[in-house]
Amino acid sequence: MKKIITIIYSSLLIVGCSKELDLKPTQSIDEADVFTSDANIKAALNGAYDVVSNASFMGGDIQLYAELLGADKEIEWVGTYNEPDEVYRKAMLTNNVYIRDTWLYGYKAVNICNNILEAINIVDENDRDRVQGEALFLRGQVYFELVKLFAKPYSAGNTAANPGLQLISEPTVGDISDANRVPRSSLEDTYAFILDDLKQAKELLPEPDLDEPTVYANKYVAAAVLSRVYLQMGDYPNARQEANEVIESGYYSLTANYTDEFNNTSNTSEDIFALQVSAQHDENDMHLFWSIIDYGAREGDVAILQKHLNLYTAQDKRRALFYIDDQDIYRSGKWKLQYKNIPFIRLAEMYLTRAECNFRLGGDLGATPDEDMNETIRARVGADPIAVTLSNILMERRLELAHEGQRIHDIKRLKQPVDGFEYDANKLVMPIPIREINAVGENILKQNDGY
Amino acid sequence: MRKLLKLCLLTGVSLLFYLSATYAQTRSLKGRITDSKDRSPIAGATVEAKNNPRSSAVTDSDGSFALSVPENTTTLVISFIGFQTIEMPVNGNLADIQLTATSRSLNEVVVVGFGTRIKKDLTGNIAKVKGSEVQNMPVSNFNQALQGRAAGVFVEGNSGKVGEGVKVLIRGVGSISASTSPLYVIDGVPVNNSSYSGNPMADINFNDIESFDILKDASAAAIYGSRAANGVVLITTKRGKAGKTNFQVNTQYGFNKPTRLRKFLNAQQYVDLLREAAINSDHIDGIDPLDPDQYEDSWLEAAEGRLDRYSGWADWKTGEINTDWQKHAFNDNARNSAIDISASGGTEKTKFYISASYNNQDGILIGNKFKRLSTRINLDQTVSDQFKIGINLSLAQTNAGRVQTDNEFSTPMQIVALTPVTPFRDLDGVVYNSPTTTYSNPYVDYENGKFKSLIYRNIGNIYGQYNFSSSLYFRTELGADIQNQNDDQFYGFNTDFGSGSNGYGESGWYRSLDYNINNYFNYKKTFADLHDLEAVAGMSYQRYNSEYANVYGEQFPVESLQKLESAALIKGGTSVENNSSFLSYFIRANYKFNNKYLFTFSSRIDGSSVFGNDEKYGFFPAVSAGWIVSEERFLHNSDVISFLKLRGSWGLTGNADGFGSFSHMGLWSGASYNAVGALSPTQLANRHLRWEKSNQVDIGLDFGLFNNRISGEIDLYNRKTQDLIFEVPVPGNSGFSTQTVNIGSMQNKGVEFVINSENISNKLFRWSSTLNISMNKNKIVKLDGLQTIIPGNDGRYLNSLMVGQSIGIFYGPKYAGVDPQNGDALYYKADGKTTTNDYNEAGDFIVGNPNPKLIAGLGNTLSFGNIQLSFLFQGVFGNQVMNGAGTFMTSGFNGYDNQTTDQLNRWQKPGDITDVPQLRLRGANGNGASSRYIYDADYVRLKNLTISYSLSAAVVKKLRLASAKFYVTGVNLLTFTGYPGWDPEVNTDARTSSNRNQGSDFYAAPQIKNISVGLNIGF
Repeated sequence: MKKIITIIYSSLLIVGCSKELDLKPTQSIDEADVFTSDANIKAALNGAYDVVSNASFMGGDIQLYAELLGADKEIEWVGTYNEPDEVYRKAMLTNNVYIRDTWLYGYKAVNICNNILEAINIVDENDRDRVQGEALFLRGQVYFELVKLFAKPYSAGNTAANPGLQLISEPTVGDISDANRVPRSSLEDTYAFILDDLKQAKELLPEPDLDEPTVYANKYVAAAVLSRVYLQMGDYPNARQEANEVIESGYYSLTANYTDEFNNTSNTSEDIFALQVSAQHDENDMHLFWSIIDYGAREGDVAILQKHLNLYTAQDKRRALFYIDDQDIYRSGKWKLQYKNIPFIRLAEMYLTRAECNFRLGGDLGATPDEDMNETIRARVGADPIAVTLSNILMERRLELAHEGQRIHDIKRLKQPVDGFEYDANKLVMPIPIREINAVGENILKQNDGY
Repeated sequence: MRKLLKLCLLTGVSLLFYLSATYAQTRSLKGRITDSKDRSPIAGATVEAKNNPRSSAVTDSDGSFALSVPENTTTLVISFIGFQTIEMPVNGNLADIQLTATSRSLNEVVVVGFGTRIKKDLTGNIAKVKGSEVQNMPVSNFNQALQGRAAGVFVEGNSGKVGEGVKVLIRGVGSISASTSPLYVIDGVPVNNSSYSGNPMADINFNDIESFDILKDASAAAIYGSRAANGVVLITTKRGKAGKTNFQVNTQYGFNKPTRLRKFLNAQQYVDLLREAAINSDHIDGIDPLDPDQYEDSWLEAAEGRLDRYSGWADWKTGEINTDWQKHAFNDNARNSAIDISASGGTEKTKFYISASYNNQDGILIGNKFKRLSTRINLDQTVSDQFKIGINLSLAQTNAGRVQTDNEFSTPMQIVALTPVTPFRDLDGVVYNSPTTTYSNPYVDYENGKFKSLIYRNIGNIYGQYNFSSSLYFRTELGADIQNQNDDQFYGFNTDFGSGSNGYGESGWYRSLDYNINNYFNYKKTFADLHDLEAVAGMSYQRYNSEYANVYGEQFPVESLQKLESAALIKGGTSVENNSSFLSYFIRANYKFNNKYLFTFSSRIDGSSVFGNDEKYGFFPAVSAGWIVSEERFLHNSDVISFLKLRGSWGLTGNADGFGSFSHMGLWSGASYNAVGALSPTQLANRHLRWEKSNQVDIGLDFGLFNNRISGEIDLYNRKTQDLIFEVPVPGNSGFSTQTVNIGSMQNKGVEFVINSENISNKLFRWSSTLNISMNKNKIVKLDGLQTIIPGNDGRYLNSLMVGQSIGIFYGPKYAGVDPQNGDALYYKADGKTTTNDYNEAGDFIVGNPNPKLIAGLGNTLSFGNIQLSFLFQGVFGNQVMNGAGTFMTSGFNGYDNQTTDQLNRWQKPGDITDVPQLRLRGANGNGASSRYIYDADYVRLKNLTISYSLSAAVVKKLRLASAKFYVTGVNLLTFTGYPGWDPEVNTDARTSSNRNQGSDFYAAPQIKNISVGLNIGF
């Protein structure tokens, strides 16, 4: 009897404790718990900024691509990494992991924005317009960067037939859906989508608060990006209108010295939008690749060539920003120091956009091209006034914004050749990453011509 | 629920104390047991009363035993591993019992998980390696000692870094994304096979190990159900035996060297070839740089400028400097030393084994060190006839000096990229660094940096066993595996990591706790002398928790202040926790009829926290059967066949390791922007995620010939892994790149042969051999159902996934040699016939396979009087290795890296027939990832050789010792291979994260060659 009891007794041990299998993660939360409160949605919005500021996106790589594609013997990729080298040589492979990641980070930000827009009614009413405006701004801004890199330029025409982007406006929750297996919209529709997002954003976003300045999007950040979009589309009246609005708003002013605009830890008076970089949020591929070991970067992967330096006059202070390293190679001083912000759109560009559009349209909205170019932009850098011609204004833009990620986009909209390629050459358009073609299906997602 | 668990435990312990009883009338017996061959005493043999195994004793070192048995006992059963079991009447001549040795394998006791079996009665496939076979091998990790010793077990060190990664595959790669590592169980405790850095298995002192039992087929492993898809390695540590206390002391000292070196250009060759490459590049641009007017801005000017820069204080034109940088990657004074002390013994009631061990190995690389201090106590206490308790406890401290992963500029091996015209030191005696050296000099990191790991590892368990009767017992085990690790790093002002930021420091802390409870019944009974039944039923629960924290900073005031307290800028830090748990129920029954027919059935239900609510549980059954043909009448009189068994098994096992603890959930995690907290999506949900299941069939034949002088095993298996957990690429426009999905399947088919033979055995000379050969063919049967190929060409490596091919097959451009007319590197176009000099036009082909077709081991033991010689050859055949660094070191000067000497055979003029393209400075002539950098990596290695001399019994006695042995041993003494790189046993630690990444070389250190001398004393 005793034996039987003990056998039963010990059998109890064999009955388990299945609740012990219900474990929860400690450093992540379930997606169902995210969009449940005002604070969470605002945290997700900040997460969208975090994603776009990643080095693979606006934290340096999209600017790097624009400069490498537009190198034209003015700069050279001398580094050992294959991926930027392929961009530099215009021999991009469809499995280029840098290009892949740029695509992925772009759409990751889009997905966060779509989640926020879906749950916008949970946001505190006082902040709802701002949050919605920022999400729309970021989505439009991301699509704009992607369409410039992954589609034929708008200036090449045929915009109703040329493919643009897959336009996703629904959040991904729970699983992939058919909404993700869609073809590319036309270039025209893509630009329309971008304009729609940015225009709405501009409506919803507040004026900057001078008492409590923030680094996030406001009405004029949206306007400044709109001016870029219009300029890319060759819509000079609207580009001028938006640029002028930014300038006239009075919230921004040029820094006293050109060099003051770069290598900063907080936004300058000239920054309309800048990516925030710090030692703890070290996402700056412009520094990593353009600077050198002495300043905490790599070996100096991008060299500035004499052809570029020759474009400046001797007294031009922008020329003095370049420095020579101990390999006797010139480097850009804009990206010299570690853990510094990345200026993304600054006031000087607005002046030059206004000057170009005024010149093209024969107007003087806000100021004359001469005032904008000579008295505002050139005067700051100690350069003598020059004749007001379109080519001079465009050259001024090229020098003022050199190595800030605008080069190839200007080349394309101005239909200029580069490194032996026509402005609309297939090889100047990035390939859709092969993983996307594989994941979506090649019959749905069409690869760009030439790949 | 935690309470319930505690209750379970308390109940278990109290139960065991609550039960006790005493027994009746006994009588005392004494005797002595010797080896029939040479009449030497047999220590450790078991003597027990027939039908009453609770009355048992073990012989002393002189072979004697004393035993009390119930009055009614008539027969004793005497057994000892490796000898035939005999029965003796109690009134026989007990003072002179002789045992006869059998074939070494058939009567071996094999550990099967929650029990043991005699090898003869096994229906599954288990390879056993005795601890004594690998004792005192001068390697840091027991897995390295097992290499070549068991069929179907592939062991590969990533490189020759001491104490670092070692890959173990049992019957091939079983998964694409989840773990491929076997489950390690030490004395019943599943141990944690992950760590913060380094190799967690190197914390284990394998001189304490009695045996390794490697469960290979599904029938053997299924009792570990969900954890067993990649096989199970059961490790049993040594235990004490009743009798005189036996001390063993081992001391060892030796030297470590690299197995092989690679040849690079010397200074004269470097200068000549670099200039030639520059001139060639100039000619392509239509420039003659030797014409002084055209020299400016020419490639030659650039190259000579570089030579000036690289030469430092010297002049490259005079040839005064010829630095062999490779030499500086190695520590030419690398030593190893070890001391092991153990004592074991005890009484009938209390038995113990204690040990202390110190092992110190200098790696062959500068800055690479490994030091382990460990202790162990194993204690068994017989409380009463029914009740036994015990404890196994080990504590180890591992102290390692690490080096960076192979892809870092600061890892020692990357020093070979520096040019031979650069002097090692400048005129002030300071080691040259960038920009004089091409890249930052790893030697500077060695001199001005440190990377230390300090690990405390505690593995132990306590058990209680209650025997209800001679046929039924209950056992409860509570085990824990605790790891505590600190990684401390500092890099000085001029190092790769520390320059530009006035030093870099990092401190990481890691702690893991893995605890485990096993409760099970074991029932064993023979009915009517015909039916042997053994059954096991029980449960086990395992909980894993790990946490790590790190912090890193820059801007140190002086280089001597290396702790983060002195960092002016704290760059970042984190703390992360990970949890998982398993709850399992298992049952196994073995049935043997008439000593001829064997059946085993087992099943296990596993629940795991890593799956969602609907998919938490998996069911893992297995069945197997065996037929001992030699027990049949028709073979009884065979002179040839002494043993023959056929066996077959089928079973399912599972895999839930290696893909994250919450992969079924859609997750958002913390992030930051503008120093404000943020939320960001990190994982796409898959509520249907479930167990990876491995379905394995094994058919085997065990045989013994000529009175078992030759014995062996042949096994055929087919292992099919289904519901492979796979990171399926999803449209990136979803905001995610992959989803963890059960999709795809993979197959490993193979055959294994083991032959043991007693070649010569007489009083003077004994020679025995063991040979194992295994062939495995891995095949991906299905990927995600849509894709049939996931190409892997990432510019350096070509490891791809292709349906119908082995995992990680090399798929990419096929090098077609050199155009004899112009020296262009050529590749085959997609048609396989025409060639192109444009890499982008090259077609993709299967150009190699990193999975070995065949692995083998051949061991021999020869004894001649007091001298014993044993050696083990180990070989790997039919695989290729790709040199991912070929694009830098064998590139015809696409950069300024020093080049391998095969570049001397370059194309120079029209008509030259060679496969080395024309050298072109930064000309990218043939340096794309292609079959050009893929090499056959078959090798045969003299893995281990030991010669020992034992002092004769008379001398030993005079010295008042029990034994004394002097030995010389060596590891990796000879390597035969056609591989042109450092060592064919390689898989760079720069990319071991994915199972497909195999056969990759990238500045990986060659393996360690060691020669040691040692002295082993027993008293």
